[in-house]
Amino acid sequence: MTKTRMNLPAGIHKIMALVETQDLVKNYELGGETVRAVDGVSLSIDRGEYVAIMGASGSGKSTFMNMIGCLDIPTSGDVRIDGIATSDRDGDALAELRNQKIGFVFQQFNLLARTTALDNVAVPLIYAGLGGDERRAKAQAKLQEMGLGDRLDHSPAKLSGGQQQRVAIARALVTEPVILLADEPTGALDSKTSEDIMQIFQTLNDQGITIIVVTHEAEIANHAKRRIEFRDGKVIEDIAVTKRRKVKP
Amino acid sequence: MIGNLGQKAAGWVVNVAIAMTALRTNLMRSILTTLGVMIGVFAVTLAVAVGSGAQVSVMQSINALGSNMALVFPQPDTGEGGRRSFDRGRLTMRDARAIEKQISGISDIAPQLRSNIQLVVAGRNASTNAIGATPGYGKVSNLVAESGRFITEADVRSAARVVVLGPTVARKLFGDFDPVGETIRINRAPFSVIGITESKGSSFGNDNDDIALMPISTMRQRFSGDTLAGPDDLQMLFVGFEDGVSLPQAKREMTRLLRERYRVRGKDINPFTIRTTEEFMKESAQVTGIFQIVLVAIASISLLVGGIGIMNIMLVSVTERTREIGLRMALGAKRSDIRNQFLVEAAVLCVIGGAMGLIFAIAAGTALTVYADFPVPIGVGVGIGAIIFSAFIGLLFGGYPAVRASRLSPIEALRSE
Repeated sequence: MTKTRMNLPAGIHKIMALVETQDLVKNYELGGETVRAVDGVSLSIDRGEYVAIMGASGSGKSTFMNMIGCLDIPTSGDVRIDGIATSDRDGDALAELRNQKIGFVFQQFNLLARTTALDNVAVPLIYAGLGGDERRAKAQAKLQEMGLGDRLDHSPAKLSGGQQQRVAIARALVTEPVILLADEPTGALDSKTSEDIMQIFQTLNDQGITIIVVTHEAEIANHAKRRIEFRDGKVIEDIAVTKRRKVKP
Repeated sequence: MIGNLGQKAAGWVVNVAIAMTALRTNLMRSILTTLGVMIGVFAVTLAVAVGSGAQVSVMQSINALGSNMALVFPQPDTGEGGRRSFDRGRLTMRDARAIEKQISGISDIAPQLRSNIQLVVAGRNASTNAIGATPGYGKVSNLVAESGRFITEADVRSAARVVVLGPTVARKLFGDFDPVGETIRINRAPFSVIGITESKGSSFGNDNDDIALMPISTMRQRFSGDTLAGPDDLQMLFVGFEDGVSLPQAKREMTRLLRERYRVRGKDINPFTIRTTEEFMKESAQVTGIFQIVLVAIASISLLVGGIGIMNIMLVSVTERTREIGLRMALGAKRSDIRNQFLVEAAVLCVIGGAMGLIFAIAAGTALTVYADFPVPIGVGVGIGAIIFSAFIGLLFGGYPAVRASRLSPIEALRSE
């Protein structure tokens, strides 16, 4: 049970921490019994990191991820995003935080059916309060970055799985967030397509975006720079990835 | 500030766009739901219009009577209770002359007798309500002869056997042929037709043209012998007033005059009744008002059912799209964004239904006006009201599902299948 910290002085670490959790606990009531899904996790993730969160199903990794994504409310403890404490913020303030700081990528893509790629990517900008022209311009630019410039008017049904996930990544990035949270982003994709997505993540991280990926696949986790392993709601391992897999461009 | 407003407006435009997409996705369901509101708005709009149509119709028939007049008839006025001083009503020609002489502002009086008569010509016959009248009748009730002439003073003085026919009676006896100058038999006596009145249309299924007029003296001699107590009795007196005369004031003066003439004291019941057109209008406005309220209340039930349909479908829609709600929340939608999205969706459904209901109501109203000769006015106000009311129904019945959607927990919504 060795914990390896990033090799940085404590002072600098405090300033640079992008995601910080303090004694984070999440309990669920299940059939009259209290299940402790996340059990007192304190860790910090810095700007520019690429973290893989691993663990078996039920280990608490997804619950942890949902809490740092401000989608789920901790039973106790605190999450700080970019220096902002979340425990005293109400639902609307959290919505704003998610909109501005966090981009989500899901296993099942979660695109709106019968809605074009462009409109799907523009959704977060609606809630950011941008006007129609600006929304379209930004969404189009992001889709072009994802290599989907010729698929703007395609609905999800007319796109392959990999293309759909790229639309979802464009949507996650369109508000220029500081963190990209991906929950099993390749879980619904074949290995070739998974590699494509991993390459995109690597490029994004190289550009300075902090990425946190939840996965149960070691292969995916090995793309990251740091690996945190969960078991029974606790962090059992937190190490730098030594043999990093790099996707050839 | 302006930018903020612009953003808000843009937000609503987006909500309408989202709503349209959602409604198109479940087109059949949307149409069926809209149908409920459509029928409701149709029923309510038509009820309002039929109610106002009834009002218009009543006013028309009162105006057909003559606009500024009082009716006096020999019927004890039991309105206020008290001792009955006469066993039957009283009204005589002498009373009529006294009123004409002593009350100011009178333009004309029209003393009348009435009787049911049988008219016969060349094998055809018609029975109608005949009025024994004076020349004043035409003036007080705005009735003129369209062909021939009206009754004159000379006709009355000589008790001439002349008759003026209403268009309906003329058509029954003579078809399209102009009967002025022809001779017809009324209760076996020959009468010459001197004129045809202009048409006054019908009100409430009552044909105002089914009449015949003869000099009052002629009727008294030939048709009223057994129905009247005295040779001077009247069955009806119209008193026409000049414009600007206060009818309540005139009524008080006439009542005082007639009470003196009949020596009615204190709270005793008058042996006559005086009604003014103003009173008729007020009373019928009340009656038609109640009629309209009842009609609208019944019609509202269908709108209520339509509204419940909206709520039901919106609840289904919220349940079906829980995952979408969760996703939108993850992407930064606030509670109010989610609530507004579903409110707008309900309102759009209702406004579309309302607009269609309004169109059908206008069509039905026009059909009623054209084919049933019943005015059904649907004004701009009613139209705009119907649309605004539909939107209100949407907000009312869409409110609960929308609030429920906005209260979902982001993660639970996102995890739902």
